[in-house]
Amino acid sequence: MRKTKALSGAAQDAYFRRLLKAQGKLSEAAREPLLRSFKREIAQLQLRREPLPDALLSPPHAARSRQPTTPTRRAQSDAGGGSGAFDPFAPNIVVLLRTLGRAAALAALAAIDNPEHLRLLAREQRLSVAPDLTSLAELRAAIVGAAERRIANRMAAAS
Amino acid sequence: MTRFLAVSNRKGGVGKSTISVMLAHAAAAWGRQRVLLMDLDTQCNASLMLLGGEGWERAARAGRTIADYFYDRFDKVAGDESTYVVNNVGDVAHSRMARGRVSLLPGSQRLEDIQGELYLKQAKKDLHADAVALLVRGRMKRLMRHFGMDCDLVILDCPPGLSFAAHAALDMADHIVVPFRPDFVSQFALDRVALLIERVENAEQLASIPFAERRYACLPNCLTGAGHERLLIDQIALDHPLLTTRLPVLESIARAFDWDESKKSMEQKYAGALPYLRKLHTEVFTGAQMRAQSA
Repeated sequence: MRKTKALSGAAQDAYFRRLLKAQGKLSEAAREPLLRSFKREIAQLQLRREPLPDALLSPPHAARSRQPTTPTRRAQSDAGGGSGAFDPFAPNIVVLLRTLGRAAALAALAAIDNPEHLRLLAREQRLSVAPDLTSLAELRAAIVGAAERRIANRMAAAS
Repeated sequence: MTRFLAVSNRKGGVGKSTISVMLAHAAAAWGRQRVLLMDLDTQCNASLMLLGGEGWERAARAGRTIADYFYDRFDKVAGDESTYVVNNVGDVAHSRMARGRVSLLPGSQRLEDIQGELYLKQAKKDLHADAVALLVRGRMKRLMRHFGMDCDLVILDCPPGLSFAAHAALDMADHIVVPFRPDFVSQFALDRVALLIERVENAEQLASIPFAERRYACLPNCLTGAGHERLLIDQIALDHPLLTTRLPVLESIARAFDWDESKKSMEQKYAGALPYLRKLHTEVFTGAQMRAQSA
């Protein structure tokens, strides 16, 4: 059994602040409502004592700079409209779900307010969502649901 | 004390043979080890890399393969089994004065048939099927271990799938490197091979074993830098110990295994892949896990 430590109150707020700050693409203005939402919706965190994977805590721009341009990324850049800055591989929804839980995964997706970006993230992370979903809330819930199914599917295969 | 290192994954095409040969060269050249590579894969790729097609065919005709060894010696091990081994194989030059060398127990396309024959032979002894399987596997394990006497390191290049020989290799290895390509199917393959290696039945039991106590470490291979690879590697790292070495798709690795008789230095052979191989060698042979296992 993995050991965990409980965080609440100021310690929990500090943890969220650090987590969000590490997501380099979020401006301070974007972080504040997320932080408020975390404070309001999450009473207590059970944090693994093992550190989070680097990719989750390191700024995405650092990870991006190590990668060659993929066809997906090129397609986004070509589409213009600022969509080139969107990284569909961050945050890693499955990792977030497993390490911080459902609320954290939903909160992280709340930072993405473009439905096309949410669809792109779902496609690139192989998280199947119904094509007829239109609202942001439905899309986010469907992405998290698909990630949960993926985790359950893998657990079943390893039993 | 001889160490046994298996390179294994039930999934095919993940680079098991290439990595086995690279590690054999590195351990001989940089670690000054007497290395024996045991080719358990019926595709015989490691043998072809180290002997070339003609050399491998000569060995097979002379009855110097792992299948011959298992078949001939199944009931009784002789004192000297060196006749099955081809010494000083590969195209990396090792100084005559240096201790390091690579020897090979060549693979055979007949190994699967031979395993079936050995199973049937034992089955005639009125044993339960599981008991026969255990007997064959146990005997293969002892036969493999027998070669430990003449070398410092035995590298077991395992086949994809689960033959008796693969089971035996996983049972006896001190440490196991599991190469994988980061695609979605690979997660399942890693989960399953991990259960076998750690001798547990499900993911929960596996999770209860701390990474530091596991016999295996996974090696991301054939990376192209695509975003989904990062995604998969982060997900796999939640459940399995990973080596920090990452092997990209490199022309220099592919070229290194075009058969060429002329002996060359490690620098000449591996060219652009050399820094990756150095890191892998350091991590596998001088890393904490291998030291702990061999202590």
